[in-house]
Amino acid sequence: MVDVAPADAALVSPDAGRQLRAIALLRWQIFKNSLRTMRGRLEAVSWIFLGFWFAALGLGGAFGIAVGSWWMLSHNRSDLLAALFWPIFIFWICFPLIATAFTEVFDSSNLLRYPLRYSSFFLVNLIYGSLDGGTIVGLLWLAGAAIGISVARPSFAPWAVLALAIFGAANIFLVRALFAWIERWLAQRKTREIMGIIFFLVIISFQFIGPLTQRAHRSHFQLPSYISQTIIIQQFLPAGLVARAIDGSARSDWLSAAGSLLLLAAYAGAFCFLFHIRLRGQYAGETFGEAMSREKLRAEKTETQSGWALPGLSGQLAATMEKEARYLSRSGPMLFALIMPIVVLLLFHMGGNPNRPNAVSHNPNLAFPIGAAYSLLLLTNLIYNNFGADGMGVQFFFVAPVPMRSVVLAKNLVHGGVLALEMFLVFLATYLMYGRPAPDVVAATLIGVLFAIPLDFSVGNLLSLYSPKKYDYGAFGRQRAPGLTVLASFGVQALTIGVGVVVVLIARHYGTLWLAAVIFAVLALASWALYRAVLGRVDGIAASKRESLISVIAKTT
Amino acid sequence: MDTPAISTTNLTRRFGDFVAVDSMNLRVTPGQFFGFLGPNGAGKSTTIKMLTGLLAPSAGRMEILGLDLASHSLEVKQHIGVVPEGMALFGRLTGPEYLNFAGRMYGLDRDTAAKRTAELLEFMQLDREPKKLITDYSHGMQKKLALAAAVIHGPRILFLDEPFEGVDAIASGTLKAMLQRMILRGATIFLTSHVLEIVERLCSHLAIIHQGKLVAQGSLEELRSGVRAVPANEHLPDALAGKLTLEEIFLRIVGGSRSNDQELSWLT
Repeated sequence: MVDVAPADAALVSPDAGRQLRAIALLRWQIFKNSLRTMRGRLEAVSWIFLGFWFAALGLGGAFGIAVGSWWMLSHNRSDLLAALFWPIFIFWICFPLIATAFTEVFDSSNLLRYPLRYSSFFLVNLIYGSLDGGTIVGLLWLAGAAIGISVARPSFAPWAVLALAIFGAANIFLVRALFAWIERWLAQRKTREIMGIIFFLVIISFQFIGPLTQRAHRSHFQLPSYISQTIIIQQFLPAGLVARAIDGSARSDWLSAAGSLLLLAAYAGAFCFLFHIRLRGQYAGETFGEAMSREKLRAEKTETQSGWALPGLSGQLAATMEKEARYLSRSGPMLFALIMPIVVLLLFHMGGNPNRPNAVSHNPNLAFPIGAAYSLLLLTNLIYNNFGADGMGVQFFFVAPVPMRSVVLAKNLVHGGVLALEMFLVFLATYLMYGRPAPDVVAATLIGVLFAIPLDFSVGNLLSLYSPKKYDYGAFGRQRAPGLTVLASFGVQALTIGVGVVVVLIARHYGTLWLAAVIFAVLALASWALYRAVLGRVDGIAASKRESLISVIAKTT
Repeated sequence: MDTPAISTTNLTRRFGDFVAVDSMNLRVTPGQFFGFLGPNGAGKSTTIKMLTGLLAPSAGRMEILGLDLASHSLEVKQHIGVVPEGMALFGRLTGPEYLNFAGRMYGLDRDTAAKRTAELLEFMQLDREPKKLITDYSHGMQKKLALAAAVIHGPRILFLDEPFEGVDAIASGTLKAMLQRMILRGATIFLTSHVLEIVERLCSHLAIIHQGKLVAQGSLEELRSGVRAVPANEHLPDALAGKLTLEEIFLRIVGGSRSNDQELSWLT
């Protein structure tokens, strides 16, 4: 029998605390080493700026929530607390999904080569995975609520803090579980297709909400009763439960308070369990690539197909576009991101009041431009980091006899094509959910996008070369953009939206939105001229930045 | 006199204060199977990266087939094939898609690219699982695919950075067969490798780089003669020096290995 006792006295049983400290030290050293380069220093400065933005959002929101909860408790209106906790809950869950540029799921898979216990693996994933903007802002807001309640009714402080802590834990577990499960579902073609079908069924089913509501109205269905049913249901969901737990204690209804708290804890436990199932699988070494079984691969043996032929474009451009399109079509997370504008339109539509047809939620003339702007925003992850997913392949572009501007142009053309498809889907979704937008709105929006997209491409092409970051198309939420890129994209979006607002105001002043379309067309010409100028400089910049680009994108660790 | 396939003049590359390649003057004649050797960190990969356009030199001049690489990089790239350190593969393409892509990027028309893709896949025995993504390939399959992509346009010079690293005997045999076939047809091959036996068997000419400097260059026979010229080896009789293997020549030129029983005594 083999003696497995440690031969070395220095070798002790792995201790979770020691391992967590070692991982923290590792991350600190990685950060410290990154400051040796100018790019790393710029990155750190960018994240400090973004930190201010998150601090403003977190602390400002916390102050507002503290005042709100203080007012509710001190005016005996603790029954309204759910109105505070639901927005926190929705932000906490939706922000990481909608703004993936700020979200990074800590990839701990390469830690598995070490004797890491499952408990340590779980903790590492939970702690480092929770270091994202949404969670930090959410925790600050909960702290605000705790302070407001404690100031208003100091005797409630322990109970409120306990309830809010469980609520916070439930949210953290839910976000982590959602990311882990979505990543798993998007990892394989089959599960991805099932998810896609479910999503479209949900979209279609929502089409029936309007007619059903109208039918209910005609049959003297009482809206207040509909709302009261919603209020009853929400009481059994996490945000409602935490409100009920605090409200129950405020009314000395300890049975209701304790029951709500227990149910909330059960939710936290369930979310934790869901997260645990995924992590347990990862810990056991499971991976979900696109790999098919050997039998299936052999069965699918086919003739080698010729590549794409695109009229008017060179073979090299067509080949690069084909490669980009294949990459995108194999990225579940990217496809998921591309349906988000439609999800947002759906959320707006659901959240609105059908009795106010001019509200954003029911106005196609607002829904279409909003959907278009959000589509453009989502594409920034791609546009501002053109080479991010190329991995080792990025070297190929430098050894092939192709000018880099052709490669960049091909990538821009594909991304432009994706945006065009996205705009079509947004139009379709707007048409189905909100009604047909006015022709002048459609024209102004489309030409406005024609002004914005070259601007995004120009800045994106520069940042792709100056501030690249490797990311994995196959991993959901592991594609946080570099801080510099996020700041620059913020700047460009702010400029675009600012110009858009001014143009629309001018057009409204003269009473016709067609004027906006004309102004956008003039601006688009200038924007395209800028794009051409930047594209012309790409070869030189790529040659000077090739080392850093290759070292970042093609790195293996 | 023939135009050299590869020539460098005072080629230098610095990383801050560190000089990775120091005033290198290298000359490779067309048709040579050229082995470029050196210990870890000697500057082999840095040199091959500069010669293939992946890295800019700090100083010096490089000519490939008589063309200045700095001013004619696109023309040069049309005539060379490269398997760099990371293999330059796009993991989320299938093998046929990648070869098709590579062929068209080198300027082949669609039909030729497709035809050569099929031929190369068959030759490399990579045609059994055409829908498999490259990321799911084994290391040996990836090496074979990278080599196939590097030769799809029929390059006159092939640069290979550690082509046999991590490759099993069967795949290695396929790679060697292809390389020898190319040499017979007049191509020039420039390769770096740590497997000195393979280099000894394949290469007609060699260069050894040590601490960024080119310390030896020539045929194996010339290197053997050169070893005798090294002061530390003066005691070597001619008969013995004539039988030195490449590994022995290499160790005598770049220095021996350390061996101390007391070091790392805690290792079982």
